[in-house]
Amino acid sequence: MDIINRSGVITKSKTVKGTRSQQEARIGLLFLSPWIIGFIVLKALPILASLVFSLTNFHMLTPEDTKFIGLKNYAHFLGDGRAVASLFGSLGYFIATIPIEMFFALFLAAIFTSARLKGKRISRTLIFMTSIIPGASIFFIFQGSLQYIQGLILKPLGLPPINGFGLLIPFMALWSIGPGFLILYGAMESVPNELYEAARVDGSGPFARFFYITMPMISPAIFFTLIINLTGAFGGAVLLDRGYILRFSLSPMEGYINNVMFVDANLGYASALAWVTFAIMMTITIILFSSSRRWVYFPEEDSDVEI
Amino acid sequence: MLKFRKRTQNRDVSRLTLRLWDFTGTASLNLFMFLFLLIYLSPLPFMVIASLTPHAQFLDTNAPVLPSRRVTFNYEGKDLVVYNVPTENGTQQWALYKPSRQSSEFIDPRHPEQGTIHWVGPWRTLRSVYTFSPTLDNFKNFLEITNLRLYFKNTILVAVISEIGVLCSSIAVAYGFSRFRIPGVKYIFFLLIATIMIPSNITLVPTYFLFSGHMLNWIGTWLPLIVPHFFGSAIFIFLLRQNFKGIPRDLDEAAMLDGASPLRILISVILPQSIPVVTTVALLHFFYVWNETRLASLYLGIRPDLQLISFGVQRSQSFFFTPETLMVGALLVMIVPVVVLFLSQRFFMQDMIVTQIEK
Repeated sequence: MDIINRSGVITKSKTVKGTRSQQEARIGLLFLSPWIIGFIVLKALPILASLVFSLTNFHMLTPEDTKFIGLKNYAHFLGDGRAVASLFGSLGYFIATIPIEMFFALFLAAIFTSARLKGKRISRTLIFMTSIIPGASIFFIFQGSLQYIQGLILKPLGLPPINGFGLLIPFMALWSIGPGFLILYGAMESVPNELYEAARVDGSGPFARFFYITMPMISPAIFFTLIINLTGAFGGAVLLDRGYILRFSLSPMEGYINNVMFVDANLGYASALAWVTFAIMMTITIILFSSSRRWVYFPEEDSDVEI
Repeated sequence: MLKFRKRTQNRDVSRLTLRLWDFTGTASLNLFMFLFLLIYLSPLPFMVIASLTPHAQFLDTNAPVLPSRRVTFNYEGKDLVVYNVPTENGTQQWALYKPSRQSSEFIDPRHPEQGTIHWVGPWRTLRSVYTFSPTLDNFKNFLEITNLRLYFKNTILVAVISEIGVLCSSIAVAYGFSRFRIPGVKYIFFLLIATIMIPSNITLVPTYFLFSGHMLNWIGTWLPLIVPHFFGSAIFIFLLRQNFKGIPRDLDEAAMLDGASPLRILISVILPQSIPVVTTVALLHFFYVWNETRLASLYLGIRPDLQLISFGVQRSQSFFFTPETLMVGALLVMIVPVVVLFLSQRFFMQDMIVTQIEK
């Protein structure tokens, strides 16, 4: 009697738990549904189409000659010195710009959370403003400003002229920190104040508070900025478009793919190149994601939800 | 008694040092920010200078850096250009009256009644005299060749409509990713990250085919620029999810026990704690639409009356590809985003105003 009763209770609670988790999954999927539908229609089909293109010699000017050529496009990539060089160029661009962008974005965001700083509104606007300067004019600004610095400051003082080209990449990196700055600053503003107050009561100084509270709490945002900079360097999605025309890109690899696509009109080979880039980016991303377990902090971590 | 006095004195001194320390901290922080901005923005004045410079100045390699115009002298109804002419009595500023290769006739603007002065030498090697004079003509000309008001209206419409779509769907999807235990959700999230990594231009041709007359027939409308945003943006979903996951679950569990529905929890528990990140997403999307040129050129090329600002301005610039046109265009395109950015600061400041606590 007792045993039956107990087992009945157990099975009952099990089914309740089962339906509840099922219901949770169903509601969750409902929230995910806009993206899933969009993914199937607007992303998966075009991506699969480009995978098929990469196995053909699809040429946009002569679509009627399209034939299935297997992995020839991928074999061609291995012998294409310019493609490999562009790929390393993108990797180099990522490695060269990421420390500048991350350091300045973090540093400025940290300064901005201090209540002592005056005129935050205007200076935050000024810091972000440079990231929305249209791409067509940015090189002219760089070149022209060097000229006028030369003409107004260096020449009257008798100083030697600056060699501009070495400065271009750090300059571009610095002038693109806007989105990263905004994201990290937003993350810092979201850190609960109680944590800082508790730390202050315990007698920890501003540096200790930054490294032991701010940094762990905003590590998800740091991780995001890192991934987005990676995709930007290789020509994936970008947070902020500078309004470049179709063919132009700051990323060497994307520039080369665009060249193959719009100048040579060789869509088959361009698709193959895009898939190679994608494979490399995905590898780096998976490495970053698996490392993120060690340094990205989420409260009440669910091991089965996290990648 | 003596002891007590000593102690209060000590306290006064320590309070003074503390205040002094506080003041130096504040001063040095602000000074640092000021110097940083000075260097960081140093190339920007060039934009303004170039946009105020008359075109002719860019063609003269000997022209000064700041916006100026050539000094001319009106003589017998004609505007003569004034040159720096080297003579035995030092350099003279004379107006060129009759140019000729070997020797030319000049007029001294201070004594025009003396008649022409003969000068031997090639006049083309002479430098003309400039005076500082910024001009707004570049802006006037640019507004004449570009239908800026129409582009403003179009871009704001597209930005606002797609903003609603991208915010609602991205917030909902990010909530789904961050708060629900769904079997296999990590593979869906993996797909989401993968779509960020795919070089965007490569899906351009298949997507164009989807929107073209073969399937949806949306070319020449705003739909290809608006509708995709209603399915959420992968990059923003990722950003919002990172933030939502960082919010402790205690509050939404408490709300759940009170019988709040998931949507209710999202609106009244999660969102109020995420105002900075939601503002960030809203701003980034607005700037993205504002600077968007690739899709605008592809889908709106046949409808100039629907064209968006960034592409419209770039097209005008490509007809007059000169430094001053580029800078004028860039400045005009940037006005609205900068104003929006400045006004949106209120939402970032919210947290600080409520608590007034230094972090």
